[in-house]
Amino acid sequence: MKEKMSLKELERNMYRDSIQDGILDIQIGCMLLMFVLPIYLNDFLGDFWSSMVFLPLWILVIIGFRAYRKKVIQPRVGKIQYGTYRKKRLKRTNIIILVINAIALLLGILSFIQFKDVSGYVISSRFSIILLIGFSLAGYMLDFPRLYIYGIIISAAPIVGEYLYQNLGFSHHGFPATFGILSAGMIITGLIILVRLLKKYPPQDKEVPA
Amino acid sequence: MSKKKTVENPLGAIDQIIHAPARLQILMMLYVVESLDYVFLKNQTGLSWGNLATHLGKLENAGYITVIKGYQGKKPQSQIELTTSGRKAFKSYKNTLQQILDDLPE
Repeated sequence: MKEKMSLKELERNMYRDSIQDGILDIQIGCMLLMFVLPIYLNDFLGDFWSSMVFLPLWILVIIGFRAYRKKVIQPRVGKIQYGTYRKKRLKRTNIIILVINAIALLLGILSFIQFKDVSGYVISSRFSIILLIGFSLAGYMLDFPRLYIYGIIISAAPIVGEYLYQNLGFSHHGFPATFGILSAGMIITGLIILVRLLKKYPPQDKEVPA
Repeated sequence: MSKKKTVENPLGAIDQIIHAPARLQILMMLYVVESLDYVFLKNQTGLSWGNLATHLGKLENAGYITVIKGYQGKKPQSQIELTTSGRKAFKSYKNTLQQILDDLPE
């Protein structure tokens, strides 16, 4: 037992317990697949459709896991309605993530326009910085420390990928290799957490207290 | 006579409904959120269904919590909330206990 336990800390622990089900890890892992699968689909579907086909798939993943959380996880772990402080914080997180995405999109377009003039390392470094900032802010706002570690590892991926591409001849700036490994790692981590949670909390047949 | 007793025993001023460790734990949790269901409370407190029902019953009878009946599909899923008087009572309990502990000599 911790020596000092404040109400704020209690709220944070309860919040963390309600979200530590591995779903976010699996979702991030699936999101990283966006840097891997379209590259292979490119030969069959072309540049535009290979990326576009991933969008409905990604939406399906989000809807599917949301339903799984509601139907399977929530009856085992229980339901919590956060207080005003947490609700405000989560709202702010959504805004920040939206802004980060907009900046990433702008930088992406900028990199695409300057593609021929700028070195691969510069583009991958920009990408890394955005990823690091995005994941760190999300980790802080969501009170989810694992996101800091993910942020560091994922932000290293574009630079490592560029190195592999330039020095060892990996294809597509090393993205399939680096992001593929990271994606698999995150999905496996999420699955392990999910299975542990399902074992720890067996299904409740009914709501017992009258 | 009873006034003198209260002065001698400062703990007499403490709300005994809240003071029980399990009920205090339940109220602390409800204080920091909007509402919780039975399953979440049971998992967090580690109490048995029977104990949880007893403590929640006492808190409900005192008017400190309210149970909002609801359903998730066909399964009942009630949410438990702290009432305004429950919030007030918890704050007052916190202040009283703090006062007593602060007045203790080193």
